[in-house]
Amino acid sequence: MTITQKKGILRIALYAGEIMLKNGAEIYRVEDTIIRICMSKSINHVNAFVTPTGIFVSDDRMDGISFIKRIKNRSLNLDKVSMVNNFSRDYVNSNMTVPQALSALKKIENADKYSFPVRIFFTGVIGGFFSLMFGGEFLDFISAFIISMVSIFIADEIDKISDTSFLSTIVASSTIGLLGILFTLFGIGKSLDMIIVGSIMPLVPGVSFTNGLRDFISGDLIGGLAKIFEAIFIAICIAVGIGIVFQLWVNWFGGAF
Amino acid sequence: MSLYLHFIYSFLATIGFCIFFNVQKKDLLYASLTGSIGWTLYIYMNNITNSASLSSFIAATVIGLLGEMFARVNRKPVTVFIIPGIVPLVPGYGMYLTMLDIINNDFYSAAKTGSDTIFIAGSIAIGVVLVSSTAKMFKRRNKKNSSNATH
Repeated sequence: MTITQKKGILRIALYAGEIMLKNGAEIYRVEDTIIRICMSKSINHVNAFVTPTGIFVSDDRMDGISFIKRIKNRSLNLDKVSMVNNFSRDYVNSNMTVPQALSALKKIENADKYSFPVRIFFTGVIGGFFSLMFGGEFLDFISAFIISMVSIFIADEIDKISDTSFLSTIVASSTIGLLGILFTLFGIGKSLDMIIVGSIMPLVPGVSFTNGLRDFISGDLIGGLAKIFEAIFIAICIAVGIGIVFQLWVNWFGGAF
Repeated sequence: MSLYLHFIYSFLATIGFCIFFNVQKKDLLYASLTGSIGWTLYIYMNNITNSASLSSFIAATVIGLLGEMFARVNRKPVTVFIIPGIVPLVPGYGMYLTMLDIINNDFYSAAKTGSDTIFIAGSIAIGVVLVSSTAKMFKRRNKKNSSNATH
């Protein structure tokens, strides 16, 4: 095998791993996919080290070619994870050329999401039904529905401009706090707690906390710790956002609701 | 609130999360079923045992089993069903409450809600990992058996 062929295969493996990691796959699945793609083209001594912020792939026996990819932003897009999974299964069993494989991966990376109005509407569904599940009433359902749509809209708009996610989380959660207080004040919602429970559900990092623990238990200690602390910081941001609004409300207006 | 209402509400809430996480249209039904069965089981077990971490563990184990099953049927990675499945159970609200208590200088309450949160998240994680590592073990043994048979 020439060195160019080998670099091509490593590049495919790295690209596939990058798409998976960016869209919320577990650490072990990313490492597994990278190693499986390399092994199928008889690069046998490949090492993959994956953390949530970067991927390292290297051949430690033959000639020491290694690649590093820095990952800056992560979100959850399960459709892409499953498409890359199918791609790796196809690639292993076929003799796709390097440009073909790269263009297939590029197509996956640019795949369609659900359209913006659909996503916003279903965010409202999340908020509304979670407030019902925790014991809210019909009025709480309506206000949680509206508030979570507004807050996610604001978070999305800020995410487009800002490059750190904590700003959008703080602003979105203070919006939730403010609107929650206003809605209960005007009698559209009944219990402020139930409205807040539902509306913050799209923001809270419960899934990334649990996934971090899952990675930690499976033995990816660095990746697991990184995810757990990311989740804790998101929770702090939400609490700060809502806490500021509540404190100001109590101190300026005497908390009349 | 009765169990069937919990089932309906959690089914719809999980559909919302599936769209939020971009689950494909044809997997929506299975993913939401996983979530709602898990949540209903959690509520049922919590009423009987009165222990949130035990009920989350049992519910997460069932979610893991359902996820493995649906993944085999639809030829998809297990993650597609497990992440929407655990979404109603994960203690995101507990994390928020813990941080809010810390901000409000209420450290006693923060320690209580915080340890509850960690125990619940830990038992969900252990439940899911238990199923997935058992499934991996069986897969490896089956592969070994079939290769022995052919040689």
